[in-house]
Amino acid sequence: MNTTSKTSIYKGITPAALIAVIVMPMVLPSTTLATEILIFALAALGCNLLLGYTGLLSFGQGIFFGGGAYAASLSMIHLNFGLLSALLCAMIVGALLAALVGALAIRRTGIYFVMLTLAFSQMAYFLAYTLSDWTGGDNGLLDVPRPALEIFGIQLADLTSSQAFYGFVAALFMLIFIFARRVIHSPFGSTLVAIRENEGRASAIGFSTSHFKLLAFVISGAITGIAGALYAMLLNFAPLSNIELMMSENILIMTIIGGTGSLLGSLLGAGTIVMLGDILSSIWPRWMIILGIALIAVVLFMPAGLWGGIESLMKRFRESKTSEPDPKLQQEAKS
Amino acid sequence: MCFSKMKKLLSLAVLFSASSAICSAEEVTIYGVKSLSGSFASYGKYADMGSRLAVENYGDLLGQPVKYSVIDTEGNAGKAVRKVQEAIRQQGALFFDGATLSSTALAIGKEVDKAGGVFMTPAGADELTGSECNNATFRWSVPTYGAIHETVEPLIKAHPDWKRWYTITPQYVFGEALLNNAKAVFKAEGIEHAGNSYHSLQEQEFSGYLTNAMAAKPDVLLLLNFGGQSSNALRQAVNFGLKHQMKILVAWSSGLDQLQELGPQVAEGVYFGAQYWHTVDTPMNKELVSNVQAAYNMNPNYPMAADYIGTRIILDAIAKAGTTDGKLVAQAMENSRYQGPTGEETVRAADHQVLKNYYLLKGKAASDMQDKDDYVDIISSGQSFPDESSLDCHRG
Repeated sequence: MNTTSKTSIYKGITPAALIAVIVMPMVLPSTTLATEILIFALAALGCNLLLGYTGLLSFGQGIFFGGGAYAASLSMIHLNFGLLSALLCAMIVGALLAALVGALAIRRTGIYFVMLTLAFSQMAYFLAYTLSDWTGGDNGLLDVPRPALEIFGIQLADLTSSQAFYGFVAALFMLIFIFARRVIHSPFGSTLVAIRENEGRASAIGFSTSHFKLLAFVISGAITGIAGALYAMLLNFAPLSNIELMMSENILIMTIIGGTGSLLGSLLGAGTIVMLGDILSSIWPRWMIILGIALIAVVLFMPAGLWGGIESLMKRFRESKTSEPDPKLQQEAKS
Repeated sequence: MCFSKMKKLLSLAVLFSASSAICSAEEVTIYGVKSLSGSFASYGKYADMGSRLAVENYGDLLGQPVKYSVIDTEGNAGKAVRKVQEAIRQQGALFFDGATLSSTALAIGKEVDKAGGVFMTPAGADELTGSECNNATFRWSVPTYGAIHETVEPLIKAHPDWKRWYTITPQYVFGEALLNNAKAVFKAEGIEHAGNSYHSLQEQEFSGYLTNAMAAKPDVLLLLNFGGQSSNALRQAVNFGLKHQMKILVAWSSGLDQLQELGPQVAEGVYFGAQYWHTVDTPMNKELVSNVQAAYNMNPNYPMAADYIGTRIILDAIAKAGTTDGKLVAQAMENSRYQGPTGEETVRAADHQVLKNYYLLKGKAASDMQDKDDYVDIISSGQSFPDESSLDCHRG
């Protein structure tokens, strides 16, 4: 497989993501806002692997997000887990929940698949709501710690300050971003795209499409679980809304607005939705009307999302540059 | 020439020293945590109006005008916590009032406590002044204990023949707390609990639960849900004709705004428990009603009154402490006794709960209403709070 500058995992959009991650805390009003954007960008990235690359519209992302948040929080509160072990716990729980939801949901396709993920989402919400001794129920899980970054008992960084925590989340985001690019550009990723384009044909040439879809679910769940854990650490609190259907919808909207099939689009989508909410809510209490109009505009005029829109603008710009007549040639033709 | 230059320099120095003296006065900013958008926007709008009015009417504090800054929670606890964290870190915010949702209030209380500030809230969760209490969090609204004792007990005492009660309860922490308190009162008063129907927090259709209540043939139907759910349950109960078969008590109503939504046709003959009612005859309430009438041309409702007095308590405590040091202001609030909208109110030091009246109201017929907001008669009022010895609050 040839590695072009676009498909190499360290080139193309990876430096662009790195620049965005470095610039964000400098240009945004606060570091905590930048941290929230990166956390939701991770969740959108996990969703993008399913929707953008495998063609699976899942309303179950909130289950993995909330599950990860609860797993990390409970392991830190009751088992005194450190930062990395809590994140690992969240990743495993997210992956297991995704395996459970995926194993049953991928037995059906189209609208029935979507309905199954919706049903799982409702079930998970009521389970969290009922198990209030563990999850805090409607009051949420309070006093979630944010431990220092330690390896083998050696403290590498105290993450109490918002800047230090941003640095940690940014580093983790870049690692997962590069991992996701590696997955996409692997034969496994190409098979996912083949399934998205024509599942029947992918199956006919010998791929066990259900196994591929399940693995995509597991990877997506693991990434989303980590995002949920980071969100609980950011807030020192795991609200019940983490596992609500609304959370799944928000993650889906971020993915679609940013652009499905583009990992940088996930960052763009999360940034747009979180920032729009933050800025517009301070201007006008009915800001959701403006958000609704913006969403309609993006879907109607930029079907490939914001990143798709930016790409097509860049393409037009390049084309217009190459189609411009060379002044030297024009001179020669005249003479 | 040289003299005139010296004169200019001298005047500049005087100006500089005067301006630094002004700057040394401590500036007070109250941060209103309100759900201006999202699911609870209708509540947040009035709460914001209440806090804003309290700040505008207060005048100067510590030598400077008081500032007010609103934080929109978007009806989302996560967003609220993140915005409060930002206000604390970037603007050095210390004084907060509001939060509609219990989850939001609990989490914000923790953040403000870490920052050494003060947070006054009207939220419903008993944990705020119970197991999750802290040095920063204060609560104005009466807990579930008082809401049940000041509604169920007066009705039992006034109508000893109402012996069978049926309850409809939302199945989560707040609903359970109301139900447990109701059961304790039933037991103490020798009342038969004819049955209970649980419903989820998202339920909007109550016909099944109402049918169960009808089948149990109780004397009183006690609704332990609140907000839109209690309005929907009550409307459906009236449509089913339950009002003619039994008495109905909504233990935790939101007062005027809920009655405006229900109208006298539904509310007539129904009993409501309420934290506040605008016709309460107290000096401070008269002042509040007149201020709200002048500013907004309306009568104050519960969110407006709760956030008005919550903000005012903080401002008074800052004036009493003479400083913006959050810990000293919190100490100044403890055991303070003042004239509130419900009469004399006290901030209990042990759990930071404001001890105030809770009201039992009864819906009037449309023909008996004296003005457009005269929906109810006040049947009784009183203060019921758990003893200090039985509190779950253990502050460090």
